[in-house]
Amino acid sequence: MSAHLSYGRVNLNILREAARKDLREFLDKCAGSKAIVWDEHLTGPFGLIAQYSLLKEHEVEKMFTLKGGRLPPADVKNIIFFVRPKLELMDIIADNVISEDKMHSPRDFHILFVPRRSMLCEQRLKEQGVLGSFINIDEYILDLIPYDGDLLSMESEGAFRECYLENDQTSLYHTAKGLMTLQALYGTIPQIFGKGECARHVANMMLRMKREFAGSQTQILPVFDSLLLLDRNVDLLTPLATQLTYEGLIDEVYGITNGYVKLPPEKFAAQKKQGEASKDLPTEPKKMQLNSAEELYAEIRDKNFNGVGAALSKKAKIISAAFEERHNAKTVGEIKQFVSQLPHMQAARSSLANHTSIAELIKDITTSEAFFDNLTVEQEFMTGVDTDKVNTYIEDCIAQKDPLIKILRLVSMQSVCNNGLKQKVFDYYRKEILQTYGYEHLLTLNNLEKTGLLKLQTSTRNNYPTIRKTLKLWMEDANEQNPNDISYVYSGYAPLSIRLAQVLARPGWRSIEEVLKMLPGPHFEERQQLPAGLHKKRQQGENRTTLVFFLGGVTYAEIAALRFLSQMEDGGTEYIVATTKLINGAGEAEIILFSQQ
Amino acid sequence: FYVRASYKESKLEARLSLLQSAVDEYNKAKNEFAAKATEEEMKLLRFQRRLDEEKGEALLGLSLHDTLHALLSANYHKQAEQLYRDFRVPDKRYWWLKLTALAEKEDWEELEKF
Repeated sequence: MSAHLSYGRVNLNILREAARKDLREFLDKCAGSKAIVWDEHLTGPFGLIAQYSLLKEHEVEKMFTLKGGRLPPADVKNIIFFVRPKLELMDIIADNVISEDKMHSPRDFHILFVPRRSMLCEQRLKEQGVLGSFINIDEYILDLIPYDGDLLSMESEGAFRECYLENDQTSLYHTAKGLMTLQALYGTIPQIFGKGECARHVANMMLRMKREFAGSQTQILPVFDSLLLLDRNVDLLTPLATQLTYEGLIDEVYGITNGYVKLPPEKFAAQKKQGEASKDLPTEPKKMQLNSAEELYAEIRDKNFNGVGAALSKKAKIISAAFEERHNAKTVGEIKQFVSQLPHMQAARSSLANHTSIAELIKDITTSEAFFDNLTVEQEFMTGVDTDKVNTYIEDCIAQKDPLIKILRLVSMQSVCNNGLKQKVFDYYRKEILQTYGYEHLLTLNNLEKTGLLKLQTSTRNNYPTIRKTLKLWMEDANEQNPNDISYVYSGYAPLSIRLAQVLARPGWRSIEEVLKMLPGPHFEERQQLPAGLHKKRQQGENRTTLVFFLGGVTYAEIAALRFLSQMEDGGTEYIVATTKLINGAGEAEIILFSQQ
Repeated sequence: FYVRASYKESKLEARLSLLQSAVDEYNKAKNEFAAKATEEEMKLLRFQRRLDEEKGEALLGLSLHDTLHALLSANYHKQAEQLYRDFRVPDKRYWWLKLTALAEKEDWEELEKF
C-alpha cells in the first residue's frame, strides 16, 4: 500500500511511520469506543497517513464531519474532534458539546489540534463555557505529509493567501516546524539556500529553533545535502500557464485532491461490467488514486501530453506481446511461469485501459479550438509579443463571458510578462471585468493587485525580457517526445522556479546575480554546523540530494521538471519536492477570488 | 477603506448610501478608478430599480453585462441602447452580446435588421 514511498532516494516511509505512531498513541490514551468528528479539510490528508482499518483497530467506530447543531447519534464512550486550530470551528464544537450534554449519558470529549494547539482557540472554548468538558486537549503534529516517493506537501489550503495577501505568517511557522521534524528524522541539512521574503523568514525561524535545541543534537547522518526555499511570488508566471504534462493536465481539467482524481464515469462504464462487480452506479464519478505505485502512471505522468499517446501504444504492444507468449509456452515449467505472471499482467492491462480512457478524455479538450487559442495567447505573452496592448483574444473572451478565472489568469499573465500593465490597458481590463462580471469584483481585482499578480507598470523598463533571456525561459525547439530540457513541461516555457534550482546546482547563483536582484525578495545562503564525525564522505559519482521547498504552492508540471532534472545523467543532483500545497493557476486565482469577506 | 464596499449586503437605500461613502473614501485615497467604478455601480443600481418598477423585470444586482443581456432577450432594445451609450460599452462587446442574446431566443428578424 505504501511501498511507493520507500522507492525513492530518501525513504519517506520513515516520516509516515512516525506520524502513524503518534496517532496510535493518542488514540490509545482515550480508552473505550470512540467516534471521530472531522474537520472536513483534514479527512483527505489523513487518508494518506492512516486508513480506516488502522483507526478501527483502535476502537474507532464512527466518523462524522464537523457541522453545527447536534451530533449524529452514536453509541460510543469517547468523542474526539480532529480540527485545524481555527476560531470558527471552536464555535461549532462548543455548539456540538452543549447540545450533546443536554441529551443523555455522559461522554468523554477530546480535542486533537492539527498541526498545533492554539491559545486563542482554547480561550474561545473557555468563553463558550465548554473548555472544562474536554478531558484531553492535545496536538497532533502533522506538517509535511508524504504524497509520493519524492513529494511532500502540507496541504494547507490558505498558505498562499495568508503569506501574500494577509501577511499572516502562521503557515511559515508551521513550515519551519515541519522542516525541523524532517531534520530530526533525516539529519541536519548542512546548506540552506533561499529566495524571497517568506523564505528568509522560514530560514530565520529554523536557525532560531536549532539554537534552542542546541543541546540535543541528533546523531543522524544527513540524508539531504541542501535545502532550497523558494517563495511562490518569485515566480508567479509558472502557475498561471496551462500545464502540459499528463499529470498536470489531469489536474487542470479535473483537479487532483490528495492524490485522487474524480473522472466522469461514461468512459469507464463498459469496462466495469466485465471487471469488478458493479457496486457503484456508473453515474457516480469514478475515483482513481494517482501515484507512482502504479507502474504505468509513474512512467507517463511527467511526460508532455503529446508524448503520452506514443508511450501508451508502446506499452499496449508490450502487454499484448506478453499475452501472446502463452502460445510459445510448451513445457509445464514455462506454463507455470506464465501463470505466475498473470496477475501482474492483468493489473498492467487494466491500468493501461484506464489511462487510455483518461488520455482520450483529455485529448478531446486539448484538441479543441478554445484550448489551442488560449495556449497560443499564453505563449505569445511568454515570448513577449504585444504584452503592452489590450489583447483581442481576452477582449473576445470577456465579451462572451467566459469563466472569470480564465480571464484573470490571462490578464495576470500579461501583467507578469510585462512587469505590470500600462495605465490605459489596466483600466480598460478592469472596467470590462467589472461591467461584465459585476461590481463586487472590485475586491477581487484589489486582491490580485496586493499579491502582485496584477499591477500597474510603474517604471518604463520591463525586466521580464532580460530575465527570460538570462534564464533561458523560452526554448524554441522544445522536444516533447524525447525531452532534452525542462521546457518540455510547458511545450517551450521553462519554469522560472526550476531554472533557479537548476542554476543553483550548477554553476551556482553567483552567475545570475543580476537577475536575482530583479526578482522580488532577498536571496541568501546559510550553513548549519554538523556535529563532528557526521560529515558525509561522498563517494565518487554519488549524487547530491536537494530538498526544494515551495512556499505558497507548486504545480505538477514543476514537479515533473524537477524529476526530469533528477534523471539527467550529468545532473549530479536528485530532488525531493516539498510544498505548502499542490496548486494550478485556476486554484491560485480561485483562492483569491473567494477570499473576500 | 475598501472594506466599506463589502457592506453592500443590506437593502438598496442603505446600500446606495454606503456606496456613496465608499466613493468618498476612494476619493480621499486618490483611487480614481475605484471611485469611478463605484459611482457607475450606483448609477446602474438606480437604473435597474427604475426598470424593475416600470416593467417588473428582476434586474437588481446583476452586472451591467447581464443587465444588457436580460434587456435584449426581453425585447427592451431602446433601454439597452441607452445603457450601452451611458456606460460606454465597447462596440465589440455589445455586438457579441446582442448576437448571443438574439440567437438564444432565435429572433432572426431582429438579427437581420442589425
